[in-house]
Amino acid sequence: MTATQPGLADEPRLRDLLSVFGQDGAGDEPVITVSAPVADLSAAVRRIAAHPGARLADVFVATHETDGPVTLRLIWGLDADRRYLVSESLIEGETYPSLSDIVPGAFTEECEIYEQFGIRPANGRPLNRVALPPWAGPDWPRLGRAPTEPPKDVHAPHHVGGHAFEFPFGPVRQVAVESLYYGLVTSGEELVDLYLFTWHKHRGVEWRLRGMTPGDALFYVERTEGLGAVGNSWAFAAAAEAALGLEPPPQAMAARAIALELERLYNHAAATAALCQSTGLVIGQAAAEIALERLLRLNAAVFGHRYLFGVVDIGGARADLDAAALRGDLPAAYGELERAAEALLSTNSFLDRLEATGILAEEAARRLGLVGPVARATGLAADTRADHPAWPYGEFPLAVAVADAGDVLARFRVMLTEAAESVRLIGEIGRTGAGPGLALPPGAGPGQAASSGLGWAESSRGESLAWVALDDTGRITRARLRPAAVRNWRGFDDACRSQNVFTDIPIIEASFWLTVAGTAR
Amino acid sequence: MPLWTLRGLRRGIVTTRYPARPDPSAALLPTPPVFRPDVLTPGLADRLVAVCPSRALARDGDLLVFDVGACTACGRCRAEAPHAAGDSGEFELAATVREHLVKQIPLGGRSA
Amino acid sequence: MMSQDATGPAIQETSEELQRTVTRMFGRSLHIRTLDTGSCASCEQEIRLLAAPHYDLHRLGFFFTPAPRHADLLMVTGPMVQVFETAARKTYDAIPDPKIVVATGACALGGVYQPDPFTRGGIGSSFPVDVWIPGCPPSPLALLQGLLVAVGRLADKVKDLDFALNGTPT
Repeated sequence: MTATQPGLADEPRLRDLLSVFGQDGAGDEPVITVSAPVADLSAAVRRIAAHPGARLADVFVATHETDGPVTLRLIWGLDADRRYLVSESLIEGETYPSLSDIVPGAFTEECEIYEQFGIRPANGRPLNRVALPPWAGPDWPRLGRAPTEPPKDVHAPHHVGGHAFEFPFGPVRQVAVESLYYGLVTSGEELVDLYLFTWHKHRGVEWRLRGMTPGDALFYVERTEGLGAVGNSWAFAAAAEAALGLEPPPQAMAARAIALELERLYNHAAATAALCQSTGLVIGQAAAEIALERLLRLNAAVFGHRYLFGVVDIGGARADLDAAALRGDLPAAYGELERAAEALLSTNSFLDRLEATGILAEEAARRLGLVGPVARATGLAADTRADHPAWPYGEFPLAVAVADAGDVLARFRVMLTEAAESVRLIGEIGRTGAGPGLALPPGAGPGQAASSGLGWAESSRGESLAWVALDDTGRITRARLRPAAVRNWRGFDDACRSQNVFTDIPIIEASFWLTVAGTAR
Repeated sequence: MPLWTLRGLRRGIVTTRYPARPDPSAALLPTPPVFRPDVLTPGLADRLVAVCPSRALARDGDLLVFDVGACTACGRCRAEAPHAAGDSGEFELAATVREHLVKQIPLGGRSA
Repeated sequence: MMSQDATGPAIQETSEELQRTVTRMFGRSLHIRTLDTGSCASCEQEIRLLAAPHYDLHRLGFFFTPAPRHADLLMVTGPMVQVFETAARKTYDAIPDPKIVVATGACALGGVYQPDPFTRGGIGSSFPVDVWIPGCPPSPLALLQGLLVAVGRLADKVKDLDFALNGTPT
């Protein structure tokens, strides 16, 4: 897939879509905002969902009102048109037209919105708990107003011949993994259903960011999901920069991109190690861990931190980049991963555990709006670096790694292909001259009116989105963080169901390589 | 599995000798700052306190109180005042008493 | 066996006595259970690497165990998300005495998150803690040092560091 020019403003198909919202053209802007009055919302959602290459990327309430109307925002990735479409609807009462009736994947967001803002879809279907515990009463801290009735948990109906029993697992699980709480439904060995709870780890990051400057908020955004620090902080910084009208200097964008690819590399190495551990291949795990450790030391040598904290800053990049260390150590570090992968792909007992395990169909990935390697392994060729390129990604051709079996092995292969591609990209981007730089000296803020912006980055787990609204002093009135894990966990139960057994769960979890922190934020 | 055995033998041992010997990779690690009392004025101390996102710094009269336990080695204080805060290079920070991590740095600098 | 106080000279004495007793009782074999009370996941990644070839905690006589009943040491990460406390307490209670609690990473030590409706801002008010390991995240080397301090095989070095430099900073 090669890079094409930005600014396909006059694509008739896109103009057609925008005319529905009373707009006659997109210009060159990568983000288009339209207004969708609530009376027309269902029709609008249907229309956008039918647009080729459209993907519902996020749904959230854009304001913190505890009474009065709230603004419902839908973010669509129009991947084939290389645009994001943001629709806004003002919701006056307690209900709004159901989105999940048209886009089933929106159910999670409908649940989250009900819990935090008290508004619900008009179809009256029961909603699940997402971020708050069962005993959260009306005084529990929320982003908006409390719902009038607590959510009732609803799960997929179980179809199993004979008896099935249900039991909760976690949140304290195996050693050195995050706490995660899920309900398992089984008829003995076969996994009939699996549903996740993440409220045990919900830290209220969006709640905490209110009133902070983007610079102060960045510290928390990085630590929302430490294994996705670069991807998530890039998305957030880009959102703040869009709101403030800042354009980071090219060398800083190049530094960000190198850090993002390094993050992708070490995460894919870590996922390889986790896959080996889950299948009991200790020696493969050791080989992958050698690669992982070398990559983390590379990060420390190049950017001063093993997990690349402190690289991204509002307006650019803060950390010095040691280009010599990068050139010197990257080939050997990646070589460890390459050799380990080669050996793994020749180990049949390992491949047997991966093949046909945790199958996710392309239709499911599309319906649920999944992103990243998990989606690409089902055949969906969406990659933010190719579809919504921020410099320097648009400059260099990017081969988007795709597979079609949708199983654990396919996800593993996609990660390995991406790792090779990341090494190549780092070389190319490095040649453009990467280093620290900021669009504006820290502490100075341009005089401005209240503003908002959308930011994105292709983290190792997939598209990470952020949306930020600032008041006229430059402080956050609403920060929306949507790491890739938020989308992809909803595919985990689909992948685990049917034809899989308990011992497959850790294998499937390793192949998704998500974090609980990324969704329980 | 001869494939893996041979690879392993060829790869050799990578295990650190720590604690018997120091590990050179420790030199790459981010570490908490050291402060220069002769340069720190109350005004400068207040700036450092304001810039720390983890509440590791506080001012108590003529002392800068530095909580190494709360420090994330993010480097914001060092960027704010490089002449007053440098790199300690210390990573062996485990403490058996929480108060061992709370340091009092006297403010010995003279305001201009 | 465990001191209930969080401050004071008594803990210093009890801590030294504890370490001597622990060293005798645990010898060179210690089993570790981890507990995530709300971390960002990077502390967990560094902890996983303790068993990796570059660090190999087994050579020092440390082992991980998922079973709290078999554990001697509880390694706790995260700022103690309040709704998690019941699970945290159950894990702590399930580990038989004598046990050692190691607070791991800035969040567990009270950095990063302030006490607020979502988190306690550290684990110090939830359990008696024997060793505190700073870092964000603490590297595997720092974790090894912390574990060795916990069993009395390395000294608490940080108590004698003053983090003040007289002369030109490096």
